[in-house]
Amino acid sequence: MRSRSAAIWLRLILIIAGLGVAAFIYAFPLYWLVATSLKGKAELYQSITLIPQHPTLASYGSVLFERGFWVLLKNSVIVCAATVVVTLAVGLLITYPITRLPVPPQLRVGVLNWALSLRFLPPIAVVIPYFAIVRTLQLYDQPIALIGIYSLFNLPFSIWMLKGFLAEIPLELEEAALVDGANRWTSFRRVLLPLATPGLMAAATIVFTFAWSEFLFALILTATPNAQTFPVGVQGLVTQFEIIWNDMAAAGVIAMSVPLVLMVVARKYLVAGLTFGVIREK
Amino acid sequence: MSRLAAELPAPTGAKPARAGRRRRNRQERLAYTILLPALGTVFVIVTIPFVLAVWQSITADDGTLIGLRNYARALSNPLFYDALRATGIYAIIVLPAEIFLGLAFALLVHRTVKRPGLRATLYVLAVLPLVVPPVAVGVVARLIYAPGYGVLNYFLQSAGLAHSEVEWLGVPVLAMGSVASVDIWQWTPFVYLVLFAGLQTVPRESIEAAQVDGATWWTQFIYIELHYLRPLFLLILFFRVADVLRVFDHVFILTGGGPGTSTQLLSLYMYRIEFKFFDGGQAAALAVLVLVSISILYSLVTRALPLERA
Repeated sequence: MRSRSAAIWLRLILIIAGLGVAAFIYAFPLYWLVATSLKGKAELYQSITLIPQHPTLASYGSVLFERGFWVLLKNSVIVCAATVVVTLAVGLLITYPITRLPVPPQLRVGVLNWALSLRFLPPIAVVIPYFAIVRTLQLYDQPIALIGIYSLFNLPFSIWMLKGFLAEIPLELEEAALVDGANRWTSFRRVLLPLATPGLMAAATIVFTFAWSEFLFALILTATPNAQTFPVGVQGLVTQFEIIWNDMAAAGVIAMSVPLVLMVVARKYLVAGLTFGVIREK
Repeated sequence: MSRLAAELPAPTGAKPARAGRRRRNRQERLAYTILLPALGTVFVIVTIPFVLAVWQSITADDGTLIGLRNYARALSNPLFYDALRATGIYAIIVLPAEIFLGLAFALLVHRTVKRPGLRATLYVLAVLPLVVPPVAVGVVARLIYAPGYGVLNYFLQSAGLAHSEVEWLGVPVLAMGSVASVDIWQWTPFVYLVLFAGLQTVPRESIEAAQVDGATWWTQFIYIELHYLRPLFLLILFFRVADVLRVFDHVFILTGGGPGTSTQLLSLYMYRIEFKFFDGGQAAALAVLVLVSISILYSLVTRALPLERA
């Protein structure tokens, strides 16, 4: 009997050790980022301190105002919001007919497969010719060039997510409105849209998050604070000759705070979005 | 499950069948009126870059046809093979590590954590790393591995495990390890979430029956649970391979492809050819090669995916 309880204890210790190590590996880097961002300039050049000696928000002021990154923040918000609107509008135009109207099943499957194949497009291979197009159209360093390509790359996610949400709303509800004399547009606006709103909000949050994190296209298609997004600014702090650690950390904190806050809202849908609906939470 | 068009409820009442058919036709026309312009636009926008890439790859800057010379240059560039090798090594490190660790944690939590509240908390915690912008993850990694301020060396030296600074980003092998560790940090939770969700689909009766028959946790995994997880492994591989081929951000931040070309993955290599060497022809040829090989790869694996396409 004693050896059995020893085995149980051993297993318990192993489990706690495993979870503890994982917790440390995930929590400490984030702690270290925040701690670094709270340090003053002087503290960076002493020997390393794990806890900020004189916590200050100076680095945030320095990043946002002295370096003018608030403009990049504004660009990011504009680009992401516009991307959300375009992606969802086009996504609805494509998913509404294939889920709510009588189209041949092959067409529906074809559209979904095609959307999935876009997920496999490597951005770098697309951006090389896209860069030439953007320059020809004189859209280089313009937010609209980013909005276009972000919408394109977020379309596969949104098509699959919206298809999932729309398919869950019973067709009979719309049919009932149509029988009562409403036209297609009214029944879409008055019946379907309100019911689909939670799903649309979830898709909007996730698309916003993805667009917010995007870096490669922004790096290539922008050059000045006219259109540069926040991640491009962060990168500028990293590759300097001398890295100002606390400023870089503060920029990192700002960059990740927006998606982290949004995800607390849309967490239930993120995995569904990432797996094209294979994994659904409740 | 989404509905099929054929299951549309028949019009109510005793309307003649012909009116029903007319209404269906009208609806189908409406479907195409909405669908075709949207699909057409997206299709054109997707296709133009590809056509343009092909055109750029077979012409010189002044527009004269030069045949496949750019492809020959792209394929004879030794740096291209360095990039392929680096991408392969990266994949060989991160994919098994993420799948093994994600599976281990999914099983661990599935077997030991029964409280719904705790499971929900772990779910939220696992979602968070997935949405941290890769650029910010790169910044974090810099704060850990970089010479001077990197806290990893501080820990190692405090513990007496290292006497001088380890150059995590300055030695090819270590740099690759550092870059890969960032990917593992960010994406293991994804594998965990997918596999954990998969474990919930295993019918309780078969587990209970197996336990009555004296199955250990290992046989229970091999003979029952693995069966339910198999399609999900495929799904994970599909999305992770697609992502490994596009990895750029955190590597660009952390090592910039160096030292030398040791962490210059395919994306970084193509970026360098186009935007550092300004060799548009060779870059376009590479873009076409990558797009074509990925299309082939895609068409080979897509049928096997457990997606709900109806």
